[in-house]
Amino acid sequence: MRYSPKPATEGARTATRRRGARRLAAPLFFLAPSLLVVFAVLVFPILFSLFVSTFDWPLSAGGGDRRFIGMGNYVELSVSPEFWNSLKLQLGFIFIALPVELLFGYVAALLLNREFFGARVVRTLLLLPVFFLPIISGMTWRFMLQPRYGPLNALLLKLGAPEVTWLSDPTFAYLAVVAQDIWRMWPFMFMILYAGLTNIPNELLEAAQIDGAGFWRKQRSLIVPLMTPTILTALLLRIIDALRIFSEVYVMTEGGPGDATQLFSLFTNRVAFGYGKVGLASAMAIFLLALSILFATTLVRKNMSLDVLEEKAGGR
Amino acid sequence: MKKLRVMVILALVSLATLGAQTINVLLWDDPYPKALQQMLPEFEKATGIKVNIEMLQPPQVYTKTSVAVTKDSSDYDLVAMDEGNVPVFAGLMSPYETWPAGQKYPKVDKSTVTSAMLDVGMWDGKLVALPINGNLYVWMTRKDLIENPQYQKDFKAKYGYELGVPKTYQAVLDMGTFFNDRGIAAGFGPFNGGPAGVLGEAIFMWEGFGTHFIDFQGGKYKVVLDKAKAVQGLEFYKKLMAISPKGAETMAHVERQAAFAADPKGVFSMFIWPAQIAAYEDPDKSLVAGKIAYSAPPAGPAKTAAVRGTWALGIPTASKQKQAAAEFVYWWASKDIASRLVDANTVPARTDALTDPKFAKTKPWLAAIAESMKSATARPRLKEIAQIQDVVKKYWIMGITGQSPAADAIDSIIAETNAILAKAGY
Repeated sequence: MRYSPKPATEGARTATRRRGARRLAAPLFFLAPSLLVVFAVLVFPILFSLFVSTFDWPLSAGGGDRRFIGMGNYVELSVSPEFWNSLKLQLGFIFIALPVELLFGYVAALLLNREFFGARVVRTLLLLPVFFLPIISGMTWRFMLQPRYGPLNALLLKLGAPEVTWLSDPTFAYLAVVAQDIWRMWPFMFMILYAGLTNIPNELLEAAQIDGAGFWRKQRSLIVPLMTPTILTALLLRIIDALRIFSEVYVMTEGGPGDATQLFSLFTNRVAFGYGKVGLASAMAIFLLALSILFATTLVRKNMSLDVLEEKAGGR
Repeated sequence: MKKLRVMVILALVSLATLGAQTINVLLWDDPYPKALQQMLPEFEKATGIKVNIEMLQPPQVYTKTSVAVTKDSSDYDLVAMDEGNVPVFAGLMSPYETWPAGQKYPKVDKSTVTSAMLDVGMWDGKLVALPINGNLYVWMTRKDLIENPQYQKDFKAKYGYELGVPKTYQAVLDMGTFFNDRGIAAGFGPFNGGPAGVLGEAIFMWEGFGTHFIDFQGGKYKVVLDKAKAVQGLEFYKKLMAISPKGAETMAHVERQAAFAADPKGVFSMFIWPAQIAAYEDPDKSLVAGKIAYSAPPAGPAKTAAVRGTWALGIPTASKQKQAAAEFVYWWASKDIASRLVDANTVPARTDALTDPKFAKTKPWLAAIAESMKSATARPRLKEIAQIQDVVKKYWIMGITGQSPAADAIDSIIAETNAILAKAGY
């Protein structure tokens, strides 16, 4: 029988829709429990936070004395110098610490991507700082930088340098917070990048060697392009983690001296649990979420899409 | 028969467990509640009430109370509130007059609380929490330094008056400079830790130089800081910072204790909260145990200001165990327990325990506390205090460390505090 298309009647369209709905019903039925869990665990807290952010909601009132203010909290944030200062410090922290961590991790991964006596032990030992509890790391750095009893100043004094009050000076305190994070987290970069390096086929490297490519040429034209998705993944994970940094800075400086290390998360904590302004703190949390999504979108969509990767591969 | 016996025993145990009352208590972490905790089994045995005590650092006590106590529900049957936070939680607490009579221990007469402390628990004309410790600025001076004949002679030769317990801000500066410049001890131990502590130091200086910070006038809170006097106070503190140990810009209690009591060089003179005296007088933890002279704080050009930081106990209106919680407070605030707490080198709020002659010789700080109470000074008490403390801390530290001129720091404190008050509707 020859198929001849004819204009669908309203009844036929309805029947098609019904068939489509029936076809969807079974998968939806089986997916429903998972979707419910995802909604409850992932989506609902965000929606609730968004809801709370539209209220003037005192912490100690338990919701009893809340007042709907619409975008009021967002407007308040936009004119708050403390908010912008904390955001500036947070972004500065990310843009200083992460490139250094990436560089250290990459260099270490290159150096240790070969077998030698004790290589496994060295690689394992390098990871130790990552396993430090952030709060312990913060305390350790606080004690290390203590001007009278800290080992760093003891060393400086032995070398004839003047005593430095590291955590009392706004610039030094900020740099100390950054240094602490670099110390603790660069092995994380190493771990991811090392895994990426070991996945590059040896044939490619050998072919490049035969073609006469030197160290830098191999890096530029082969290793870095092949490692791009790994590097971006590592950066993305670290950015998300760095946006939430809290406990180590809290125990190191509590945001001080003054507000020199009052990073975004510390200020959010202060607003929520110091000032008792849950609505305002929720607005900050939503802002942080939006910022994370922006970073993720920029990194993933613009650099990790198949089109871009293929284009890069084709360009080689 | 054997089975039946086991079942009867199990049933009795279950009944006993169900019948026992349990109260949850949130306290601050320092030697005072810890000393009380040692005595807790006596209370539990006498009343059958089990007490779950949770001790946290002061800022966390505030946070936990904020989260766990509301009008309708409460995770705690009794909470400790730092003086500055009483206004924040007053509306969630049962007024003392509504607390039930004790079944085992009599309800504590509020007149037993030292009058300088009773005000701490008052809000809106009602006693909403019972002050439980006698915490206010007491001054510590290194006795071994001021009693050294050579130092006495040298000091008098240089400054023209006797070395001793400093009675004025200027004497703290002179004597502190004397010891600091000779490398004998740091001259002063500032407190630059948490926002509440920094506000305490600022109030100490401002009041000493003759100016209030915030007053309640015509139903509204108002900044009444006299700029010229406030600048003088800040500038003077800056001079004290110059004779303080390295890292003084961020010194909190831990660092102060380490500098004063664990560093062989030590600190000449500084304030202490009496609640912490036990740690300074513990020979196992302190190099200066038995070597400290206690006094009221030195006076500024205008007056003496012993800043108060007392803790008070409140029963949340949402608590379901008010009777048991009240019973516990009555036991804690009784004369017997208060005396034993004094004996453990801590400081309760009861006048009769603090002035008991039997402690006069062994607890030299008690006389100093009594003297300090004559000039007890409160920090501002209002709901917005957390924000105001942050503002004061930020600009005070900038001022005393030279990051900002003193006048600019005070201007910023006044302007930003006014903005907070205006926004709060005052």
